Amino acid sequence: MIPLGDILLYASLAVSVIALVGLISREIKNIELLNKLVTPAIIAGAGLLTFSYILLTYYFVYSDFAYDYVWQYSSADLPLIYKISGTWAGQQGTYLLWVWVVYLSAAWLALTTKHKTALARRTQIITLLSGMYLIIITLVQSPFKLIIERPEVVDLIAKGTLTPDFVPEAGNGLNALLVNFWMTVHPPLMFIGYATMTIPFAAAIVYLLTKEDGWEELGRQWARFTWLFLGMGIAVGGVWAYLVLGWGGFWAWDPVETASFIPWLTLTAFLHAAALHRKNKATFSIAAPILAVVSFILVLYAAIVVRSGIFNSVHAFGDSSTGTLLLVFIGITILVSIILGMRRYFEESEKLEEDRGFWNKTNIFYVTLLLFVVLAFISLWGISFPAFIQLTQGLKVGVASDTKNFFNIWSYPFTIILLLALGFCLNYNEREKEQQKKTLFIVIGLSIITMFLRTETFYVLDHASPFWAREPALYKMIGNISVISIFPSMIYAAWSTIQRLRDYLKIESLKPKIKGIGIACVHFGVVLILLGAIISSNFTQTIESANIPLASKGQLVDIGNGYGVRIIDFSTRSLAETTNIPAGDVSISEIYGSPEKYANGNVKISGKVANVVNVQSPPPVTYTSYLQIDDGTDNIWAATQAESPLNYQEGMELTVDGFLMTNFKSNSTNMTYDLILFSTPDQISGVAESGKYKVQSVRLEVYQDSRKIGSGVAEYLQAESGSGTFPLVDSSITGTDVYVIFQGLGGGTVPLTLKIIPAVNFAWMGVVLFAIGIILIMAMRTKSRGG
Amino acid sequence: MRTKKLVSIIVLVLILLFAYFSYNTALSNFTLSDKNSSYLGGIKFHRAASGLEESFQIAQQENKPVMMYFWAIWCQYCARFQTDTLGNPQVKKILEEDYLLVAMDLDIDREVAQKYGVSYPPYLVFMDPNGKILQRVPGAVEADYLLPIVTTIRDDVRRK
Repeated sequence: MIPLGDILLYASLAVSVIALVGLISREIKNIELLNKLVTPAIIAGAGLLTFSYILLTYYFVYSDFAYDYVWQYSSADLPLIYKISGTWAGQQGTYLLWVWVVYLSAAWLALTTKHKTALARRTQIITLLSGMYLIIITLVQSPFKLIIERPEVVDLIAKGTLTPDFVPEAGNGLNALLVNFWMTVHPPLMFIGYATMTIPFAAAIVYLLTKEDGWEELGRQWARFTWLFLGMGIAVGGVWAYLVLGWGGFWAWDPVETASFIPWLTLTAFLHAAALHRKNKATFSIAAPILAVVSFILVLYAAIVVRSGIFNSVHAFGDSSTGTLLLVFIGITILVSIILGMRRYFEESEKLEEDRGFWNKTNIFYVTLLLFVVLAFISLWGISFPAFIQLTQGLKVGVASDTKNFFNIWSYPFTIILLLALGFCLNYNEREKEQQKKTLFIVIGLSIITMFLRTETFYVLDHASPFWAREPALYKMIGNISVISIFPSMIYAAWSTIQRLRDYLKIESLKPKIKGIGIACVHFGVVLILLGAIISSNFTQTIESANIPLASKGQLVDIGNGYGVRIIDFSTRSLAETTNIPAGDVSISEIYGSPEKYANGNVKISGKVANVVNVQSPPPVTYTSYLQIDDGTDNIWAATQAESPLNYQEGMELTVDGFLMTNFKSNSTNMTYDLILFSTPDQISGVAESGKYKVQSVRLEVYQDSRKIGSGVAEYLQAESGSGTFPLVDSSITGTDVYVIFQGLGGGTVPLTLKIIPAVNFAWMGVVLFAIGIILIMAMRTKSRGG
Repeated sequence: MRTKKLVSIIVLVLILLFAYFSYNTALSNFTLSDKNSSYLGGIKFHRAASGLEESFQIAQQENKPVMMYFWAIWCQYCARFQTDTLGNPQVKKILEEDYLLVAMDLDIDREVAQKYGVSYPPYLVFMDPNGKILQRVPGAVEADYLLPIVTTIRDDVRRK
C-alpha cells in the first residue's frame, strides 16, 4: 500500500504535468483552453504539498513511529517544538520543505502575473520543471517511507522475529546537538532561501534564451528574499555554533557552512549587477543573468555538500542516494547555462561600447562583482578539491595545517580590496572623481603600509598556534600580514557609507530616502560583521581545563590569569514535558521530629541529592550508593544496592521509598547513621530513569580580579544519540562576552573552559543591520511590471 | 568593454594559478591519510579497518600495546589535540617507539567506531596485544594527562 503522503506527492506531480502541458501548448499552438487550467493546477499542486507537509508534521506531533523518518528523528518524550522541528531535521523532510516552498512561489507567480506575459509563462515552465524534479527526488527518499521497509526490519520480519505490522514503541530521538532553539529555525531559513532562488534563476534562463525584457524585475524581490533568508540562515547557524557547539566562535569554515555561504556571495554579486542592469539594460546584460544562474547552481551544490557524505563535515547527516540525482540536475543546468551564455556573448560582442577608461562606475562595479566571484571561488575550491582528491586518489588531504588558515589567508587580501571598492563605489560621483581617486590611493597606500606593522599577536595567522610552523612559505608570507591593515579600508568604507547616508537623508521623496537608508544599513552591517569577526577571533582569551571540585560549591576558586569561578548550584533534569516523579509522603524534618513513629517502617520522601558516596560491597550486591537527600527542611541518608554501577549524581531530584533504620553503622563508609533509609533501585524514582535527554546544568559566576564579570548557567546535554554543550554566554555593554563551556560532570569535578571573547556583538549587530536594510529595500520596491 | 575583458582575463589567470598552487600544496604538504597509513600530528598511524587483525598480529609479535585513535577531518579539537598532545615530544617518543598505532577515520571506519563504542572524536582506546581494552581516553586531553597513561600501559604490557 502506498502511504497517503506519497499519494499526495504523486498527485502534485500529476497536476504539475497538466499545468506544464497547458503552458507549453499555449507557447507552441496558442491553445487557450488548457491555459485556463494552468493557474488552478499550480495552486492545486501547492495545496497538495501544503497538505503533505502538514501531514508529516502531524505524524511527528503524534509520534507515529510507523514512519521511518519520524522514528529516526523524533521521540515521544521531546517537547512539542522539537517534535515539529524534527520534520526538517533530516534530508527527507528538508526536500519536502524545499519543494513545498518552490510550489508556493510558483503559485504566487501564477496569481500575481496571471501568466499574461510570455516571460511569466516561460519562467513558470522552468520553475515547474525544477519543482517537478525536486518532487521526484523527494519521492526517491520519501519522508513517508514506512519503518517496515527498512532493510533491518525487513530481515527481522522474514525471520519471524517481528510481525509485518511492527511499530516501534520509542523513537530513535533527535540528535542532542539539534535540541536547541536556534536549530529549530536554521534549517527552514536555509531551505526556504534555497527554494525562493528558483524564480530569479528561471527568469534569468528565459532571458538568456529569448532575451525577454523584464526578467530582472520579475526575479528582483525573490532574489532579495533569498539573500535575506540565506543570509539569516547562515547567521543563525553561526549563532548555533557559538551557543551550542562550543566552538567558541561563530564561523569555522566547516564544509557545509562554507557551502551555503558560496551562493550567498554570488547572489550578492547578482544583486549588485542587477542594480546597474536595471538602469541601463546594456550594462551587465550577460553578467547579471549568469550570476543568477550560478547562484542557483551553487544552491544545488550546497544541498549536495550537506547531504552527500563525501564532504566530511560536522554536519554528516548520513549518506545519500539522491546525491546523484542532484548532480544530474546540476549537470543539466550548467550545460544549458553555458550554451545559452556563450550564444548571448557572441551575439552581443558585436556592438562594442565606447571605452571610457578604467575609472567609471560600471568598471568599478564589475571589479566588485569579480571580487565576490573570487571570494566565492576560494571557498568553493577549498571545500571541493579535497573531496575530489579523496574520490579520485583515495587520499585524505587537508587544505592547510589548520583548515581555517587556508580560507583566512586567501580571503583576507580580497576582503580588503572589496572594502576599498565599497568605499569608492558607494560615494562615487562623476564630478569629484579625481578627488575621490586621490582618497582611494591614500587608503590603498595606508593599507599596504599597515600590512608590515609588527605587533604582538595581531596577524592573519596566529603565530603562537602549533600549526603556524607547518604552513608552507607562501601561506606564512600572507599569514605574516598585520591585521591592522584591515582598518584603513574599513574606516574608509564606514566613512563612505555615512557620507552616502547623509546624501540619502537630503532626498525629499520618501521612498528613495528609505531605500537609501536600507542600502546604508546593509553596507554598514558589512563593516560591523568584519570588525566583530576579526577582533573576536584575534583577541579571545582562553583558560582551558579549569576543574572545579563540586565540593567547593559556593566558594570562589582561582583558575589562573586573575580569573576565578564560583559554582552557585548544580542540578540535573530530563528534557521532557512531564517527568512523573511521585511526591514524598512526609518531610524529612517530620521524620527527625518523631523518629519513633517512622522507624522500622516504610517511608517515602522526595528531595534533591546533596551528596553521593559510591562504595563497592561484597557479592552478590557489588555496588552500594549512599545518597544524602535534602528536601529543604532537613537532610537524610539513603542507601541502595545493585549488581551494576549506580549513576546517581548530585543535584538529581529523587523520590525514595524505603525502610527506615536507626543507628546503622556502615563498615564501608565508616560512619554511623542515626537514621537511614534502605531501598532498592526500583524504589527510587526520578530523572535518572525518565527521559532520553538528560541535562546537567551548573549555575556559576565568573570573576576577574575578584570583580564579578559574568554569571549564568552552562549546560551539558546527554542523550543516546550523542551529547551537546550549551555554554554560558554573558554579554556586557562593552561588547565582551564571558563564555564558559561545561563538558559534563566527571569524578566529582566540574570541568570548565573559560573564554573571554571581545567584540563579537558587533557581528550580531551587523547581521541585524543586514536584515533591517534588505527589508527596507524590499519594502520600498519601485513599480513592478509583470511581477 | 576592453577594460572589462582585460580585468576578466587577469582574474581568470590568477584564479587558475591559485587553484593549481593550493591543490599541489595540499597534496605535498597536507596528506592526512592514504591507503595504508594516516599522518596525524607528524605521527604515522596504521590505517585500513580491514587490516585491523594484521595490526594486532604485529602487536602480538612485538608485544606492544595498541593505541587506536579515532579522528575526523572536520573535528575542531582533533587538529590541536594531534599537534599539542600526541605531538608533544615526550608523548610522541613513547607512542612511536613502544606502541602499535592505529588511526580510525570516523567518516570511513564507522563500523569499527561502533564496535568500540566510540561516537565522537577525538577518542583514544588503549588495548593489549590481544585486543583487550585497557583504557579509554575520550576528548581532547592534554599532554600532561596523557603522558602517565601511555607510560603505565606500556609498562604493564611489558611486565606481562
